Amino acid sequence: MTVKDLLNPHPVTITLEETFGGALKILLERHIRALPVLDSAGIYRGMFYLYDLWELLLPKAATLEGANVTDLSFMPGSLEELREKTLAAGPRSVIEFLKDKEAPAIHPETSVKEAILMLYHHDGVLPVVEKKTRRFLGILTPWEILNRLHDKE
Amino acid sequence: MHSESAAAHVIFGWSAAWVSSLIFVAVYVMVITEKLNRAILALLGAGLMILAGVLTQEAAIRGVDFNTIGLLLGMMVIVGITGKCGVFQYVAIWSAKKVKARPIGVLFMLSIVTAFLSALLDNVTTVLLIVPVTLLITEELKVKPYPYLLSEILFSNIGGTATLIGDPPNIMIGSAVGLTFNDFVFNLTPVILIVMGATLIPIYFLWRRDLTATEAAMNRVMKFNEREAITDPRLLKQSLAVLAAVITGFILAHALNIQPATIAMFGAAALLLLDNFHRDAEEQAKSVHHAFSEVEWVTLMFFLGLFILVHGLESSGVIAKMARELLAATGGDRNVTVIAVLWGSAILSAFIDNIPFVATMIPLIKSMAPAFGGDEALLPLWWALSLGACLGGNGTLIGASANLVVAGMAERAGQPIRFLAYLKSSFLLMILSILLSHLYLWVRFL
Amino acid sequence: MHSESTAAQVIFGWSAAWVASAIFVAVYVMVVTEKLNRAIVALLGAGLMILGGVLTQEAAIRGIDFNTIGLLLGMMVIVGITGKCGVFQFVAIWSAKKVNAHPMGVLVMLSIVTAVISAFLDNVTTVLLIVPVTLLITEELKVKPYPFLISEVVFSNIGGTATLIGDPPNIMIGSAVGLTFNDFVINLTPAILVVMAATLVPVYLLWRKELVTTDAAREKVMRFNDREAITDARLLKQAVGVLACVISAFVFARFLHLEPATIAMFGAAALLLLDNFQRDAEHQSKNVHHAFAEVEWVTLIFFLGLFILVHGLETSGVIARMAHALLAATGGDRNVTVIAILWGSAFLSAFIDNIPFVATMIPLIKSMAPTFGGAHALLPLWWALSLGACLGGNGTLIGASANLVVAGMAERAGQPIRFMAYLKSCFLLMVLSVAVCHVYLWLRYL
Repeated sequence: MTVKDLLNPHPVTITLEETFGGALKILLERHIRALPVLDSAGIYRGMFYLYDLWELLLPKAATLEGANVTDLSFMPGSLEELREKTLAAGPRSVIEFLKDKEAPAIHPETSVKEAILMLYHHDGVLPVVEKKTRRFLGILTPWEILNRLHDKE
Repeated sequence: MHSESAAAHVIFGWSAAWVSSLIFVAVYVMVITEKLNRAILALLGAGLMILAGVLTQEAAIRGVDFNTIGLLLGMMVIVGITGKCGVFQYVAIWSAKKVKARPIGVLFMLSIVTAFLSALLDNVTTVLLIVPVTLLITEELKVKPYPYLLSEILFSNIGGTATLIGDPPNIMIGSAVGLTFNDFVFNLTPVILIVMGATLIPIYFLWRRDLTATEAAMNRVMKFNEREAITDPRLLKQSLAVLAAVITGFILAHALNIQPATIAMFGAAALLLLDNFHRDAEEQAKSVHHAFSEVEWVTLMFFLGLFILVHGLESSGVIAKMARELLAATGGDRNVTVIAVLWGSAILSAFIDNIPFVATMIPLIKSMAPAFGGDEALLPLWWALSLGACLGGNGTLIGASANLVVAGMAERAGQPIRFLAYLKSSFLLMILSILLSHLYLWVRFL
Repeated sequence: MHSESTAAQVIFGWSAAWVASAIFVAVYVMVVTEKLNRAIVALLGAGLMILGGVLTQEAAIRGIDFNTIGLLLGMMVIVGITGKCGVFQFVAIWSAKKVNAHPMGVLVMLSIVTAVISAFLDNVTTVLLIVPVTLLITEELKVKPYPFLISEVVFSNIGGTATLIGDPPNIMIGSAVGLTFNDFVINLTPAILVVMAATLVPVYLLWRKELVTTDAAREKVMRFNDREAITDARLLKQAVGVLACVISAFVFARFLHLEPATIAMFGAAALLLLDNFQRDAEHQSKNVHHAFAEVEWVTLIFFLGLFILVHGLETSGVIARMAHALLAATGGDRNVTVIAILWGSAFLSAFIDNIPFVATMIPLIKSMAPTFGGAHALLPLWWALSLGACLGGNGTLIGASANLVVAGMAERAGQPIRFMAYLKSCFLLMVLSVAVCHVYLWLRYL
């Protein structure tokens, strides 16, 4: 069995024109954690994660690679301040948030064990793309696998 | 003898011999009880040797065998990079399929592969690479992994004894005495081949009944695609080429007039170069940093401290006195001494770390040269020390680092190896291997 | 002079001086162009020195200054553990609150804190600890972090010059020449205090207009709880205790007959002991492994290779010849030589790594002793070398490792520091600091 037999081919996706605020709204309405971002040709360009919101809300030094800030207990904070930050970022394009931190993409021919190994390490949403063109084919989440395992019983 | 330590320098005017013995014994006892990490202990002990005035810092640095440390460091870097490309998994899967995935065949093949790899890499690295594949294969075969893991422990220690670079005691002996890679191959590899053959027989009889698998299970293993195990073909080619060049370098070292540490460190630098030259500066910095941070620094620091500790004993005359005692006990007869060193090392190494033991024995044996008529006469003693210390490690579960690493992995995998269960099967196998070494030494050298 | 290298051993019968120079220059060029990681290049070069027959492995090992490497290693371990307890964040936040979070006051305070910490820890570690807190504070103050980061770069290099352990060039000079911690404090710290004061004036004039903030923003910083920044109070006490012991030992080193490497390594072992003795064996081994894995091995390996390379140059007589040429250029006048070294080191160090430069200059200056009438007459030359090489690093963005580390972090934080922008403000600051040192050396020694 390979990823081809498991993937969800019609997940909610967004385009490169989407804003940060719009993407957050979709995450909230659908109760999902990640949105694949596609360009107009249907090519996978990256994943927008709830994670991006956390990064926005934290001081820069806390999310900086190599800065080693592991503790923010000395910094007070308020909800208004955080809400302000979120609203201010609303009109920004999702493109700004697509750094290279997206989970590695998998392919339809990836074996199911390899896919589970990746879910084990990343616990998120795996984008499935065509190997050569990176055309978006769907996503693989823990729910697709759980569903199929449940079916058999 | 060194003259850098005069009794006058030692604090409170105490005797250098007593102070150094005290520090040494304290460190030894603490290392054996394993309450504290051995690298910390050895470094603290080495520091005390200097602070107490037994050695100056300069004398301490002179006592460190940087040839051993350089060789270990270089090989660790090379093996660390090579291990990432998946070649060892490839070999393990390939060998399991060669015997049609029959459980007892797989046991034999994996044991031999382990011994072979151990002869070229260090034992801990070898088992770290082989044990995960073994667990994969035995899980698919639905056989218990216990016999496999046990056998891999034994063969990693046996295989490591065969060459200069297979096991730290050999590196230390080779470096201190100036024995070459080829010397080890000529003198130790033959007996190791015999020991391997002789160890496989009892293993076969011990476990042949337990190890059965269904056709379906064996078919699953036969469907493994070993080519997929190779994760980075480019790195594979580079690292195998460097490894081959380094081993060729060891073989030709004498003719080329170069030392093992130079070869290993140059090989490591060359492999880092090949692995990095196409990357940008930041990636290079990360990759090189990673390669060095994966080195077993704890082990190297332990060596560093130990060399200083032993040098303290040596320069205060304690080692010479111990050698005289040992000679008195063996009646000054070289052949009796060889056999005593062989069996003594084996039994001791079964219970304590063989590295500090060998570090202590090296200057001790060296100082016997006059008694036996020159360095040439010491050769059988070196082989006895190597065979005893390396093979002795098989005697108990705590006898060698590879044993502990496998035990740790087995425990985490839910297949714990118990001290007594291990002892029951392996202590006798260890005695068997020492008996064979005894015979070999007797026939060939005595 | 060393006699271990005779021309006859060099491959193809080439001249040792030519082979050594060719290898050295090739390595230097590769390091300057930064196409390849400098540790790889230095190791390969060192290997070639041995393989090319300029040095034997033994001679190469003798050429390594293990006192420098041991001191660096020990301090890296101590600082790595100390950095985890949050004490430096505490000091930074505390100092910002002391000046009521006025941006200009924070800039001055953080600069001084950076200089003081740099005097005792290495510069890269200092900026790695201070820059994140700086970014936190400036983000809350809504001022641009650029002036703060630049000023911290400059003051880390200035502060590092003040003591034996502040900067690698000082460690190398101190170790090679036998200068103590106190020698550095007595001779360099006064100059550095003047340089600090002289640098703060233009920094103030340059940025006082831009650094304004609202009361609300300041209020936010004033609400920071500095005590919460301390993440591990127990470790803090241990680490600060060990650091204090190590520094006192440096101060009394001569009286205690102790070398710096012994003090630093023993301190590291003691801190590891304190940090680990209450843990179980597996925890300990992970923790110790981690402490060693975090050490900047790339830097240490670079040093290792570099020492061998310079030793190759030295034994083949190239260094002595260079010293002759330099003396000819300065007319054999010591005072002219001092000033030439000060300014020459500063300008060169602004563009190239000061570590290989200092490594080359040390034997070169040493060989001038007979000309100037003994080792004692060389003292001003050593201070000029230290001041020039350390302060020169401030001249450009690539002049010192700390500069590059801050630039990297600033870039990732979206506040890039551009090469030319940095050059415009800092090159003059560097020239100013070297001019101050020129006056200082002239008044005190010439």
